[in-house]
Formats: sequence, structure tokens, C-alpha cells
Amino acid sequence: MIGIYKKELKTYFSTPTGYVFMGFFLLIAGFFFAISNLFSMSADYNGMLGNLTFIFLIVVPILTMRLLSEEMRQKTDILLLTSPLNVNEIVIGKYLAALTVFLITLLITCLYPIMMSFFGEIAVWEIIGGYIGFFLLGSTFIAIGLFISSLTDNQVIAAVVTFSVLLLLWVIDSLQSIVPTTTLSGVVFAAVLVIAVALWLYSAARNIYVSLGVIVAGAATILGIYALNKDVYTGFIGKVIAWFSLMSRYQDFSLGLLSLSPIVYYITFSIAFVFLTAMQIEKKRWS
Amino acid sequence: MIEVEGVTKRYGQRVAVDNISFTVNDGEILGFLGPNGAGKSTTMNIITGYISATEGTVRIDGKDILDQPEEAKKDIGYLPEFPPLYLDMTVSEYLNFICDIRKVPQEERKQSIDKIMDVVKILDVKDRLIKNLSKGYKQRVGLAQAMVGNPKVLVLDEPTVGLDPRQIIEMRDLIKKLGRSHTIILSSHILPEVSAICDRIIIINKGKIVASGTPANLSKRLGGGRLSLRIAASEKQAADVLSQLPGIIKIDLRGSFEPGTVDMVIEPEEDVDIRRPVFNALSRAGYPILMMRPMDLSLEEIFMQVTTQESEVN
Repeated sequence: MIGIYKKELKTYFSTPTGYVFMGFFLLIAGFFFAISNLFSMSADYNGMLGNLTFIFLIVVPILTMRLLSEEMRQKTDILLLTSPLNVNEIVIGKYLAALTVFLITLLITCLYPIMMSFFGEIAVWEIIGGYIGFFLLGSTFIAIGLFISSLTDNQVIAAVVTFSVLLLLWVIDSLQSIVPTTTLSGVVFAAVLVIAVALWLYSAARNIYVSLGVIVAGAATILGIYALNKDVYTGFIGKVIAWFSLMSRYQDFSLGLLSLSPIVYYITFSIAFVFLTAMQIEKKRWS
Repeated sequence: MIEVEGVTKRYGQRVAVDNISFTVNDGEILGFLGPNGAGKSTTMNIITGYISATEGTVRIDGKDILDQPEEAKKDIGYLPEFPPLYLDMTVSEYLNFICDIRKVPQEERKQSIDKIMDVVKILDVKDRLIKNLSKGYKQRVGLAQAMVGNPKVLVLDEPTVGLDPRQIIEMRDLIKKLGRSHTIILSSHILPEVSAICDRIIIINKGKIVASGTPANLSKRLGGGRLSLRIAASEKQAADVLSQLPGIIKIDLRGSFEPGTVDMVIEPEEDVDIRRPVFNALSRAGYPILMMRPMDLSLEEIFMQVTTQESEVN
């Protein structure tokens, strides 16, 4: 794992990728800092960080597009997969390398609050809390980018898809207010989910009986819950969407609050995507 | 050392490798021969654990590649069809990285890398970026990569493809030299190469093993003991004498290439040595034999025969 980590980190700085990421990030961050803190003489640093989160949409694809797709294109994945390393070590090593580049960049931006401290009191702990949230949100996005990079051997496609998915996650809260909330729509949505799972299973395992079993079991569960408590389905689509709402969980950090549930949420989300990446690579060997 | 048992690989409906079984003994060089798309690379990818077989098992030194992948993979060095090189690294950076992922202890590293670079002759390019190397050097760096960690087994997929004739000869000599201390499987679609390097050959076509044995053995078995003769007699005279001999299935006249002589190919029954009877009969009749040559098949002919007729020869 350490070997992969070292190599990835070195690649970031022996190719333009690392510099483009850092340069762009620092440029935009500096711009935001100047506008919202320096020129307007405001000490609200966490608010600035909150506004800055949009930058992930652009810089995370730069950081993650290469990670696995380039290995596949250059056919060097064969080297890693026939080495005594297991898939988890490979994926985690790469993920940690991307996180490290992100963390280094973030540490450079710590200069901004230090600058502010020359002009007056700053809320040190609040700012640290804000940074923790900012880092966790970023690492979640990086995990998503890592997963998407494992799906294609084309960097450009990986970047565009990552950007689109992050954009979708960005606006998902506003989707919540426009989706239907009736009980019927909830049932239909649950049915669609079950069918999607069955189709995915069929495409992966090519076993019609397993997929049919999933559909039957899913239908029974949906009907059972409907009979017991049909209120579950009221606003069901909105609830499912809320599970994926990364941004709504950032609000606490933006206010300078450090609460446990969003931290756990972000870490779980990241681990899930790192795990999915390993699964995706493993699956490719079996198909 | 390597045991492959009933390995099958299906991609949907298409069968890439169909129930292949063979073993490779310690210190042997096995040649894997077949036309393009016969399933050579797929088989090698399965042996090295890059992809998994639909059915069947592969054991390296008694360790199953799927059950104990970490132990088994330590014993294998793999040079795939396209050498897996990081073009943005220098040669020594690259080999250092390979040491990292193959878990070579830090203290042995420098010495073992130097030794490998010396054996495959890439010491002079060790500080150059891999992307600037020629094809021949890239191939050698790929081979160097497979040797890191001193694995017992080397799996080489088309190691000489894309090299110029001199490099091909160098590469063959190198493989032969490595064969003294390693068990090697190599694939190729170039026949002279396989017959020059390998102790044993497996010919594979459309995912199935169609023939196997030593190069000499294969050619004798498939040649069937046919003889090519040049006799100082007319066609009719020679044919009359030979047709009275027992044990001859077929006499094939090839015409006359020297004045007053006739060329023919005779095919005996299986496992019958007819050279002496042929000589005695013709000399009694007073027709001197000017040339007698056993028609062992060349590897090309064997290859064509087994890959076009699909006859089972095992």
C-alpha cells in the first residue's frame, strides 16, 4: 500500500496534474478570501469556506480522473493486479495519495486565517471545525471521483462524469422540493428501485432466477410495508434523495458547529465508495 | 511447479479457453504456441491471477492462485503482451516501485536491481525516462520487471514481438539463460523461436490444446515415418518393386528432377520402419538409391496441420 501511495504522490508532482489542482484551488480560494474577508473586512471565515465548496466541482475531477483510468489505458493495472498486493491496498493507497495532495493544498490556505489574526481576534476553534468539515466534504467527493475513474479507461470521460455526478449532488436539495410526495409515487419509486437492483444483478451474474427472486422479494416487502404503514411512502422519493444530500450536512460546519452525525456520514460515504471501487476492479476480473 | 487443471474461461457465450490442463515441471521451459486469438494470452492471464477462470484451478508450487493469491503471486513474474510500463518514470524509479509492490526487503533492493539491470543489459539507460526508450529497451525493462523479487516462475507473453532480428536472438539467449534458474512459460506464434528455446511445446487452437510434446517428438509423431526417395530407375520400374513390399500404404510419385531418376514419397503403415526393406528390395532389383530422407514434419507443417485440421493428437 505504501508503495502505491508513494508512486501516486510522486506522479501528482511529476506530471502537471498536482500543480494544476493546487494552482487552481489556491487561485480561487485566494480570490474568495480577498473578496469576502479582506476587502469587505469581515471575520466570517467559515462562511467563506462554505462558499468555496463549489470549487470541488471543478478541482476534484482534475485530482481523480487519472487515478485508475490511466492504469487501465496504459495496461499497467495488470502489473498491480498480478503483484502480491490485494485490490484494497491498491485502491486505498491511491485514495490516500489524492487526499494528501488535497490536504497539502488545504494547509497552504491556513495562511489566510493567520493573516486575519494580525488584524484582530479570530475564532480559532470555529475555523478548525470549518476546516474539518471542508476536508471531509472534499474527501467524500474524491472517493466518488475515484470510483468513477475505475469505470472507464478514458480520463476525459472520467472527468466529465465526475463533474456531472458532483453537480447532481450539488443541486439534489433543490430536487427534493419538486419531486412528487404522494403515497402512490413513493410505491412506484420503490418498485423502480427494486427493478433496477434486479437488472444490475442480472447484468453482473447473468442469472435470471436470482433477479426474479429479488423482484418477488422486493414486491412482497413493498406490499407488506404498504399494508402495515402506508405513510412510509408519503414523500418517499424526497427521503431517499435526502440520504444523498451531501451539501445539507455541511451547514453545521458552515456555522462553525462540529457535530458528530455529519462527520460519521461523510466518513461512511467515503468508505462506501472506496469499497465500491475495489469491488468494481474485482468484478472486472471475473467477467 | 505449475499445475493447470481443467481451466475454462467464458465471456458470455464465447469460450476463450476450453478445459485446458497441463503441468510444468521445475526448471522446464514450456512453449505455448498458437495462432493469434487462440487463447494464449487469456491462459497466461489466468495463470498469473490477472483474470479468474470460469472453471478449473491453477496452482503455483502447490498454492492456489485464487485461494492464496498473495503467496502464489510472489512466485510469479509476468511479462504481459504489452509491457506494463509507467512512461513518466525513469528505469530505476520504475524498478524501485516494482520492488515496493513485490515487497522486496529494503536492504536487498539496490543489489538485486543492479543485478537484474546487468542481466538484461539496461544499465546504460537506468536514468532515462521510459517513454524515451526504444521498443527493444522497453521490452527488456518489461522483462526486468518480471524478474524483480526473484520469482521461481516467469510467464512471458510474446517476449520477442516487435524486436529486430538481433534483439530477438539476444532475447532468446537471455531466456535460455534464465531457464537454468527459473521455470518458464512463454508464448509465441513464431515457430523457430519456440523450437529453439523450449523443452516442451503445447500447441493451442481455438482455446483447446491440440498437440503437446518435445519439438523432436512432435515432428516424428506427426510425420508418420514417411520417406522421400530418389531412385535411378524409371517411374514404372521403381513403383513395381516397391508395390510388392509389405507395409507400404501409399506411393506418391513426385516426377523426375535428374535425368534417368525418379523422386517419390512413400508412406508406411504406422510404427513400421521400412528403410531396410526398401533398400534391400531396390538394390536386389539393381536400382540404386541416390537419396533417402525421412520426412519429419517441420514445426510449421505440424502447426498448420493441427491448427487447420483440428485433429486431436494427444
